[in-house]
Amino acid sequence: MTPLLSQCLLHMGEDHHSLEDYEGGVPRWCNGCGDNAILAAVQRLCRGEDLSLEHTVFVSGIGCSSRFPHYMGTYGFHGIHGRAFPIAEGIKMARPDLNVFVNTGDGDCCSIGAAHWIHAVRYNMNLTVLLHDNFVYGLTKKQASPTSPKGLRSNTTPRGSYLDPLNPLSVTLGVQSASFVAQAVDWIPQVLYDIIAAAHRHRGFSFVRVIQRCPEFMPGMLDPWLQDPSKTLLLTHENGLQLAPELSRIYTNHREHDPLDIDAARRLACSDDEIPVGILYCNPEVPCYEELRGAGQARPADRIRASLEAELDKFTVWPAGVERAAA
Amino acid sequence: MTMEQTGEFQGQIAFHLTGAPGGHLEPVDAPVRPALLAPYRDLAALRYDYPVVLVEDSTDDACVCSLTALVDDLLRDSAPRGTEGERVRRAVLRAEREIRRLLAAGARGTLSDLWARAAPHLAEEVDHLKVDGVLADCDHELPRRVIDHAWRSVQRQKAWRFHADVDRLVQALSDVLRAAFIHSEPGRRPESLEAAFGSLHRDQFDFEMMSRLLGRSAPRDELPADRRERIEWALEVLRRQRFFDPPHGAELAQSAAPPFEYRFSSCADAIEAFRERLPNVVEFVKAMSIAELEAEGRYVSSQHDAFFQSFDENSLSRDDLARFPDYLVSVHGDESGAVIDLLSSGLPVKVLVETEELLAPEHFGVHLRSTQLASTVIGLMDVFAFQATSSSLYQLRERLLAGLRYTGPTLLSVFSGTAAPSSDLPPYLLSAAALEGRAFPAFTYDPTAGPDLASRFSVDENPQPELDWPLAPLEYADASLQRVVEEVPFTLVDFAACDRRYARHFARISREHWSDETVPVDEWLALHPAEAETRVPHVLVVDETDRLERLIVDARLMHAARRCRELWHGLQELGLAHLRVEPAPVDEAVGESVAEEPEAEVVVQAAADDPWIETPRCSTCNECTGINDRMFAYNDNKQAYIKDPDAGSFRELVEAAESCQVAVIHPGRPRNPHEPGLEDLIERAKAFQ
Repeated sequence: MTPLLSQCLLHMGEDHHSLEDYEGGVPRWCNGCGDNAILAAVQRLCRGEDLSLEHTVFVSGIGCSSRFPHYMGTYGFHGIHGRAFPIAEGIKMARPDLNVFVNTGDGDCCSIGAAHWIHAVRYNMNLTVLLHDNFVYGLTKKQASPTSPKGLRSNTTPRGSYLDPLNPLSVTLGVQSASFVAQAVDWIPQVLYDIIAAAHRHRGFSFVRVIQRCPEFMPGMLDPWLQDPSKTLLLTHENGLQLAPELSRIYTNHREHDPLDIDAARRLACSDDEIPVGILYCNPEVPCYEELRGAGQARPADRIRASLEAELDKFTVWPAGVERAAA
Repeated sequence: MTMEQTGEFQGQIAFHLTGAPGGHLEPVDAPVRPALLAPYRDLAALRYDYPVVLVEDSTDDACVCSLTALVDDLLRDSAPRGTEGERVRRAVLRAEREIRRLLAAGARGTLSDLWARAAPHLAEEVDHLKVDGVLADCDHELPRRVIDHAWRSVQRQKAWRFHADVDRLVQALSDVLRAAFIHSEPGRRPESLEAAFGSLHRDQFDFEMMSRLLGRSAPRDELPADRRERIEWALEVLRRQRFFDPPHGAELAQSAAPPFEYRFSSCADAIEAFRERLPNVVEFVKAMSIAELEAEGRYVSSQHDAFFQSFDENSLSRDDLARFPDYLVSVHGDESGAVIDLLSSGLPVKVLVETEELLAPEHFGVHLRSTQLASTVIGLMDVFAFQATSSSLYQLRERLLAGLRYTGPTLLSVFSGTAAPSSDLPPYLLSAAALEGRAFPAFTYDPTAGPDLASRFSVDENPQPELDWPLAPLEYADASLQRVVEEVPFTLVDFAACDRRYARHFARISREHWSDETVPVDEWLALHPAEAETRVPHVLVVDETDRLERLIVDARLMHAARRCRELWHGLQELGLAHLRVEPAPVDEAVGESVAEEPEAEVVVQAAADDPWIETPRCSTCNECTGINDRMFAYNDNKQAYIKDPDAGSFRELVEAAESCQVAVIHPGRPRNPHEPGLEDLIERAKAFQ
């Protein structure tokens, strides 16, 4: 295979980037916050894939996690609450050549943005979505979110929350056209990186729920899993996650899981005690909306005009005796 | 053996060796056909791959559909179970049969036309047929029609990609010029500003004033002259391209030259046209490359000017050429030399070589030359070679399309099975017989299919490719009207028996003289030469009344059959069909010894006295760097390590270890024995050692 000349010339002028090139402002997250781990993994991914800064955009809504675009050296769009998905979809439709990431929190995605979330899964546009799930609204100083554990006492649930938490994995897996669903935890950085990298390489809507610590408002909540690696179930497969030997020794609880098996994925998503970590479902055959719609095609003005004329001609009342084709 | 039998056998041997019939042997003067083809007298009554619909405006793999497959889809969708469904089913199948009869009688037209003629009472059903297009039966025009149609489908896909690229670049360059105009002094004149507004609120603005305000700092032209010239040149070249028809919805400008023609009937014409157009291709690729760079804002004069000044045809890559339409050249088998020259040039050509004659009766020595043409071009290594008979074109349409999509040269060698005027078989059966009898085996050599010859070359398209000759059950009634079933091979001799021109190579043995001294062709070929001399080969055929007969075969035709089998062996070996072996089982003992090896120790533990961090497990939470960023630092992966253990106190090490939520910091032993509160700190550090 010989590359196109124009591609050669374009690559010739390309610079290779260091991790610092992808760094934006200094993060203002609390020390110990899992967002830092996600940021580091994403910056490593950008460097590893050598993503062009001007062809990469991070979109977010509102919340702690949604400050993410500020800390990247790429383009970013800090949107409004719950609306990260439609903004990202619009960007992708207009510029399918861009690498579009969405950073959203458990409140932003699963509460006010839930309707957009469901339909974003269904549209299966080529976006990499990171759900930063710390089980609480942290930016507003501890309010219960849809994923908060039952009984959590917070500023909005002083007697403890009444409902069982919403499960973002099972919801996503229940939507038609789901094509990539994975779960990571912020305290296993290599696995976090591998999963985000697989999500980025997947062509379609890649949904990664990252379970993360909030040391400020949910201290100790995840300690049982941090202190006992056997409570973390690592899902491995030749088409999914593959573990380095040193991780295999620490995290001994593995299970072979075929990412094409959606029924098994749904069962795993509903695990209570163990946290399943890995690629639960991946189907590269699901068509992307932007491809179905031919997004990114140039539509020159003269062609648009010709199409409109052709459409309007259908409703033209031609004078008697004038042939339609001749007119 | 009686004296009489010995005499009969001597006569058979004599015919086999000399071709001169004598004794009880009778010449074959009435039409016969191989016994295995006996059931296929009336093709119109059968449901098989043909005719096919050449689907209009298709750009995908479904550009050729079988009528039978379409009717099956139709019945699945519109014939419900039960009596009513059965009525519809029968009527639709009658319509399908009638369409075949119309085509066999010479009718031409689209599926909807012929459907309307065949079944006017089923006009509603035709709406359920998902596609429409010209119907093509398996006749002498089929290869040319199918390949021309498939080629146009592939070119349509290419045109779509080509126009998408060109439109994108034209749009991007136009935007650059438009932006420059808007920022320039002429762009900020009152009339320009007014034209940029919609009509609704136009009266609300004072464009004179707006122009004075905005125009103060506007440059005359923000684009440097050389860049403007370059962009305008590239735009002009992109817009006046003649390689593809204008896209749907756009009209060809009156002043524009018509698009180039890419279909040729001679290799020389195709090469000449390619050479004539090469300057246009070079200019266009150069314009596209410049446009890509300009659109991305990456054109650097000092770097690129010199390159583009020396840009010529040698600068073109194969993928650059693959953007343009492929040349389709249709020739007959007697242009082999020119075809090989054209294919070895590496140009993006698709050469269709139609073969109508396989076994020239007067030149057995040079027969099967078209088979050899396709085998020969495999030696060029980067030529896609596709060989098939017209009967198998539909089955092999995916490989055909792969050949047409291939970016390099492609040879499409097809036996159309029509030039045997003395054959009573329809073209479909004759070409099927050529495939079955290994006279014209199907194969594909796809240079992109893998790293070795075995994965690139395939003879799997042939019936029972693992055998010398395909076997099929022959069922007939014997003299006492008892049912007999036997496995019968279909050989080159069967293929030859289809054509009356070869009748002199056969002699009929009347049924009362059938004996074990004659053996089937495949068995005779497998005999030791010494034993073969004592046997005579025969082939089973049927006459026009479907009466089973044995014909003995002369040595000349058997020699051709032997040669045909050797060529077939060559093809099998080329595809390594015989040599494909299962991977050797893993030696269990070796496997076990490997499994028992201890895993390599990856984490290197520092000396227990020194502080250390399990860096790969660091989750970048900033706790430790927040405590002392001179002692703790991040590596290239943004994971913490101990940069300088002496840059802080043991207390800070212990506090960092306590605050690290993934517990990857190990404080070691105190480096300063005089640090206050050491006793307590050492106790707290024990949890992290």
